[in-house]
Amino acid sequence: MNATLHQAQALLATGRPEQALTQLSLLPANEVTGSYAMQLRCAALSQLDRWPEVGDAARAALAANGPDPDLLLWLGRAEHEAGRDRTAERAFLDGLALAPDDVDLLCAYADLCAADGQLDKADRLVELAAARAPQAPVVYATRIQLAHARGDNRTAQRISQEFVGVHPDNPVAHALLGGTSAARGHVDAAYEGFRQAAAARPTEQVFAESAMELRVARHPLMRPLRPILRFGAIKTWLVAVALIIGLRAAGLPALGGLLGLLWLVYCVYSWVVPPLVRKWVMRSWR
Amino acid sequence: MHDDLFRPTISEQPPPGKPPWRPESIVYPAFFGGPLAAATLGLLNGRRLALPTTHLVAIGAAGVAGFGARIAVGALTDGNSALRLAGTVCGLLVWLVVLSLQRRPFRVATLRGREPARLIGPGFAAAIGCGLFEALVLAVLVR
Repeated sequence: MNATLHQAQALLATGRPEQALTQLSLLPANEVTGSYAMQLRCAALSQLDRWPEVGDAARAALAANGPDPDLLLWLGRAEHEAGRDRTAERAFLDGLALAPDDVDLLCAYADLCAADGQLDKADRLVELAAARAPQAPVVYATRIQLAHARGDNRTAQRISQEFVGVHPDNPVAHALLGGTSAARGHVDAAYEGFRQAAAARPTEQVFAESAMELRVARHPLMRPLRPILRFGAIKTWLVAVALIIGLRAAGLPALGGLLGLLWLVYCVYSWVVPPLVRKWVMRSWR
Repeated sequence: MHDDLFRPTISEQPPPGKPPWRPESIVYPAFFGGPLAAATLGLLNGRRLALPTTHLVAIGAAGVAGFGARIAVGALTDGNSALRLAGTVCGLLVWLVVLSLQRRPFRVATLRGREPARLIGPGFAAAIGCGLFEALVLAVLVR
């Protein structure tokens, strides 16, 4: 690999896709459409969220270089982004026919199946990938995604913790731990996850925004709402209703009524205060 | 070895209709409105999530059963507070049925990049409309 490609790759790894694209445009004409140069190009464009161009680049590269699993992976991802799931599937399956053990292809196909609601098939695909490379970041990320889609927040958080343990330098691992912790109401762990992710990759807007949201959740005025975040609205409500009913049944209707009133005030607080705090925190940042 | 895994299974997706509501949020109209509000919103959301007919029927049946239970409570006890309480409890039970059937399809829908719709307007409408309807039916039947 020549120096230009090396440099482009390094830029991508540090989250500077625009500079990577500039670097790639410096390549001589006969190397610009090479398979690896085009893969880097696709990766850079995807980081910039320019998915239609990813698809165009992948198609052009496939035309120039012939079938190639890595290029088919990019084509499939771009088609999936565009909502053309059947074409995406064909690209992934063509890629898997060439490279049946490709972990990235297996995980991308699993993602596609999950988005189609085929969670069992997605699980089997990611298991296959995990058998090849149990500690690959993409395998962790896909397993977390699937656990989340199943509604299993606990497993999602457990796998994220494993992911951070194995790849402590990976910003995506920290961001996923942040997201899965937030889903379970562990506000401090969630903030820590996104803070580390944003620190490791300051160019990624999403990490910074999530860290920001969790700064809001950690605000002192939000403290009374911790039970809802921690145990979920469902359990908190059930406990409150059970208490109110219990007090009435125990012959203490006045106390039950008082608790009911307090609960109503608490509900109103939980609807009114969060948007205000958010506005506040955002303003103090700008 | 993995022949069946590597066979195409993705079907053509129907064009996305209205975005679904967060099933967790239906708890509020269910609490204030009662079983019929929970079932109505559950059915509408079930259609947005393209649930199979059996699940939609289950949600509808849960709503009817919940309202039936409330009528039974009204017939067997006197005093308004037991009746109000029955409305809340039955509403929450119906909502649990809705949640158990819709949590996974909702998360799959968000995987597909769909943003949930706001439930505030429809939630208030269902809670007030269905709540009044239940009160009316109860007043005619039991009182």
